[in-house]
Amino acid sequence: MAKLTVRHERGEPEQLIEFDPRAAPFQHDGRPASILDVMLGHGAFLEHACGGSCACTTCHVVVREGAAALSPAEENEEDMLDRAVGLTPTSRLGCQAVVEDPDAEIVVVVPRHTVNLVSGTHG
Amino acid sequence: MADERHGRLEAVTDHGQETRSLVFALDAPLRFAPGQFVSCLIPHDGARIVRPYTIASNPEESERIELLLDRVPGGPGSGWLFALPLGGQLAFTGPWGVFTLERAPDAEAVFVAIGTGIAPIRPMLHRASSSATRPLRLLYATTNPVYRDELAALPGVTLELIPPAGVVDAVRARWVDADADRSRRFFLCGVGGVVPRLRDLLRGAGYERRAVQYERW
Repeated sequence: MAKLTVRHERGEPEQLIEFDPRAAPFQHDGRPASILDVMLGHGAFLEHACGGSCACTTCHVVVREGAAALSPAEENEEDMLDRAVGLTPTSRLGCQAVVEDPDAEIVVVVPRHTVNLVSGTHG
Repeated sequence: MADERHGRLEAVTDHGQETRSLVFALDAPLRFAPGQFVSCLIPHDGARIVRPYTIASNPEESERIELLLDRVPGGPGSGWLFALPLGGQLAFTGPWGVFTLERAPDAEAVFVAIGTGIAPIRPMLHRASSSATRPLRLLYATTNPVYRDELAALPGVTLELIPPAGVVDAVRARWVDADADRSRRFFLCGVGGVVPRLRDLLRGAGYERRAVQYERW
């Protein structure tokens, strides 16, 4: 079984999810066995304003451990991350980062902020 | 969860049989940037699913939003929106998204819209046109040119209409093969694999990564 530990910068309790990535998809948003799919399918909320289709940055997570067990980022994801608030070298989009190793042990942090970019000069 | 907002369907305009504009009067003014979308919460099978739709109207009209969409066969989002009666309520969150344009670029800007990919580009062009000092070019690849007359009349905007199948060749001919200028800015939007093909064509030809912005549906 793979293990996904989710920590929240906003202070919600840490969550530990044990799952078999080969049983994905666990629900209908994001790539099957992605961090978003695993979380939503196991009762852990992660924002995903675009429906999990790599069209926004609201499912941004920072991978603390286990990054090598995830699918590599493609250009679409890199371009989106480029615009994420609080980008780090191990940032990923939850909807795109797929857990590929059935014995993976992954730790992610959900940042405090998601991008809700609004013009400040026009009402 | 993000805060839930509501709108009441105030007007419908059909652009042919399968493309429709929906105007919603909002419960409170919405502040957004040109190019952003709202996440519609669509009733489906006893639950609600999230479907993003780009705001096709201008941020200056903050008390209503217009959505432009095609009916997708079997699609629960567009099916529900096409069936919504005047006065019907829409729940949504947002605005969201980073495919935005806040002011006119300081270089020649090329907007490539494929079909209803014109939706984010319409408010972008309005915003850019109000302060542009460099050319604004719209390559509109569609057989159903919604907003054509309105956009063609904007100061500084040059609009060219082409068939969708010709968009890659048209971009290559005009902005890759024609000259060595790589200072332009690009904003690409549409459905499917043609958008990343255009992105790769332009970046591969020497345009900087961040000079090529895009949204793929």
